[in-house]
Amino acid sequence: MTTPRPPHDPSPEDVPGTAPAPGGAPPGHGAGPPGYGSGPPARVPLRLSPKVLLIDPVRMLPSLLLPLLGVLFVGGFSARSYGWAALGVVGTVVFAVVRWATFTYEIFGDRLETKRSLISRSVRTIPLERIRGVDVSTPPLHRLLGLAVLKIDTGASGGDEEAGLDGVTLAEAERLKAVLLRRTDGAARPVPGAVAAEAGRPVERPIIRVPRRWLLYGPLSGAYLLTPFALAGGAVGLAFQWGDDLGFGQDTAWYVGEWLWEHPYLLLAVAVLLVLAMPVLGGVMYAVFNWDFVLKRRDGYLVAERGLINRRSVSLESARVRGYEIVDGLVERWAGVVRVWAIVTGLGDSQTRGQLLPDVPRPVAAQVTAEAVGPYRAALRRHPPVARNRRLFRAVFPWAVTALAAAAGVWASGTMLWWILLVVSLLLAAAGIPLGLDRYASLGHGYDGARMAVRSGSLRRSQAVIERRAVVGWRLRQTWFQRRAGVLTLIAGVGAGKGGYDAIDVSQAQAATFPAEVTPEWLTPFLRPPADNPPAGEVPGARS
Amino acid sequence: MRLWLLEALVAFVFLLGGSLLVSEWVGGSDWSWVPDWFARDPWLLPVAVVVVTLPFLAAEPFVRYSVHRWELAGDVVYARSGFLTREWVFVPVSRIQTVDKGQGWFERMLGLATLEIRTASHAGSSAIKGLDHRVAAALAEQLAHRAEELRDDAT
Repeated sequence: MTTPRPPHDPSPEDVPGTAPAPGGAPPGHGAGPPGYGSGPPARVPLRLSPKVLLIDPVRMLPSLLLPLLGVLFVGGFSARSYGWAALGVVGTVVFAVVRWATFTYEIFGDRLETKRSLISRSVRTIPLERIRGVDVSTPPLHRLLGLAVLKIDTGASGGDEEAGLDGVTLAEAERLKAVLLRRTDGAARPVPGAVAAEAGRPVERPIIRVPRRWLLYGPLSGAYLLTPFALAGGAVGLAFQWGDDLGFGQDTAWYVGEWLWEHPYLLLAVAVLLVLAMPVLGGVMYAVFNWDFVLKRRDGYLVAERGLINRRSVSLESARVRGYEIVDGLVERWAGVVRVWAIVTGLGDSQTRGQLLPDVPRPVAAQVTAEAVGPYRAALRRHPPVARNRRLFRAVFPWAVTALAAAAGVWASGTMLWWILLVVSLLLAAAGIPLGLDRYASLGHGYDGARMAVRSGSLRRSQAVIERRAVVGWRLRQTWFQRRAGVLTLIAGVGAGKGGYDAIDVSQAQAATFPAEVTPEWLTPFLRPPADNPPAGEVPGARS
Repeated sequence: MRLWLLEALVAFVFLLGGSLLVSEWVGGSDWSWVPDWFARDPWLLPVAVVVVTLPFLAAEPFVRYSVHRWELAGDVVYARSGFLTREWVFVPVSRIQTVDKGQGWFERMLGLATLEIRTASHAGSSAIKGLDHRVAAALAEQLAHRAEELRDDAT
C-alpha cells in the first residue's frame, strides 16, 4: 500500500490545481496552457477541487447510515457504540480525503493522464486526439458548491473505460473542455496565438433555445411515464429493507399487506391515483431533465445543454455526426411534435447523450436538424402494397390465434379466465388493424443526393436520416415468407448509432435500385441484368 | 457442401438424443399434466422429431450450397447465403476494417475455412463459410491489402 501524502499539509504544487487561474487560463495552442506546462520539466499534476471532499462523505452517507444505525441499536446507545459510529464517520471522511489526495490528472503533451494510487496504482492515458466528446454535468450537490463532473468520451466501450473527473470547479471544467476539445480540432486547424487568447471563450452560436412552454409537450412523449410506479416500488422496497434493520420484522409488513388486501377499494384507489399521477409526474420528470434545453454550435462541436437540477452539457464532434433520428410516438404525432437524436460514430450511451432535441414541433425540428447536421429534402418512397398485407397480418395474426385458442378454451371448459382471454385477444386483434395500416403508412425510404432516410414503426415511429458516406455496406434479407410475398428487408450498414438501419419490406426492384442510387459505384458491377431481379441471383460468382 | 451435411447431421443427432431423453423422462414420471396418450407411448416424440426434421436434413445442405455465393468485383465483396432466410451482403472493400480467417473443427477436417469480413457496423459485416482454405488465405490477403490502399476514414 502506498502511503498517501498527508492531506493536511498541501504542498505548494497543489495550489495551481486547486485554484485555477482567474479567467480560466486561456489555452494556448500546441504548447498547452501556459504555466500548466506540457513540457517535461514542469509536469504539474492537477487535483480535483478540494470542495469535492464536502460531497464525497455525504454521498457515502446513505450506504453508511444503516450499518451506523445497526451499531447504535445493537450497542444500545452506549458511549462505546457512539465511539464506533464516530469512528465510522471519521473513517469515511479520511477515506474521501485520501482518495482525493491520491487522484491526479494532467494534460501532458498530447495526452491526458489520470492517476489513482490509493491501494493499487493505476494510470490511464488518453490520447487527446481520441477524445470524441466531453460531457459536463452538475448534480445538485456539485452545483451548490460550484463543481462539475466531467466525463470524457473516447469511443471506448462505455462503462469503466471512460475517464471521468468527478468534482472540478466549473471554471476548470470549462477550461478542460476547451483544451480537450481544441486539441482534437487543433491538429487540423492551428489557431494563431492572437485568436487563442480570445478562444478561452470559444465562438458560440446558439442553434435553438427551446422555450419553456414546449415543456408541456413532455407528457406526450411517454418518457418517464412509469415514474410513479417506480417511486412507489422504491418506497415499498425501502420500507421492507429498513423495516428489517429497524426491528419491526417481516411479520408487520405481511400484516400491513394483508390489511391492504382486505380493503381492495383502498388498493384500487391507490392504483387509480398512480395511473392519474403518470402523466403529471412523467411531465414533471421530463421538465426537470429537459429544462432550458439549448443546442449550440461551438468550434466544430454540437453542444446540448439541459436539465434543471442536474444541468448537463454534452459536446458532440460535428465531424462524427453521421445523421439523425427523428422519433415520434402515436400521441406525439397527433400533436405534431418530434424528438431528435443524433447518430454519432463511437458514442457510448447514445440514448442519453445523443439527444439533439426534446419534444418540439415538427417544422422546428426540421429547421434545427437542417442547420445542425444537414437537411433532408426528398419525399419518402412508399413500399409496395404487399407490405401492407404483411404489416396487417403481423399485427392481427398472433392475437387472432390467441383468440382462437381462447375460444377453444371457452368451448372446452367455459371458465371465466378463458372468456377474459378471448375478449382481450379479440380487442387486441381489432386494434391490430389500424396499427398494421399505420405501420404500413409509416414505412418509407428515400434519398436526396446527400442523405438517405428510412422510416418505420407506429407506436414509436422513427425516421433515420443518414449521410451517404456513412453507409459502410448493404445487407438484404429475405425470410421465407418475404420470398413468397416478393419483398425484402434492406439494411444499410452504418458505422454509427445502431449499426444498421432497416427499410422493411421493399419490393425487389426497390431493393436493387435504392442501393444503386445511393452508392452507385459499389453496386453497378452487380447490376448486369438490369434492375428486374438482380438480388435473386444471376451473379456469376465463384462457388465455395 | 459436405460441411453443411456434417453440421446438419450433428445437429440432427443432438436433437434426436435430446428428444429421446425428454420422452424417457416424461414417460417415466407420472405427472398429471402429461396427456394419457403421450404417457402411454412416449416414443412418439422422437419419431415426430425425425419425421419433421428429416426433410430439412436432406434438403438444407443442398439448398445452402446452391444459394451460397461470393464474389469480389470492382472492390466490392458480395456474399449470398441462407436457407429459409436468405441474405445478400455488399461490402465495399474500402470500408473493411478487419479480415479474419477462421477454421472450425469440421472445417479443419475438410480443409476449408471461414472468412469473416468486418466493418464498423454489424449490419455491414459478413462471413463467407466453407471456402477452400488456400482460397480463403489468398482472398484474406488480397482484401487486407486492397482495404489498406483504399482506406477512407468516413466511419
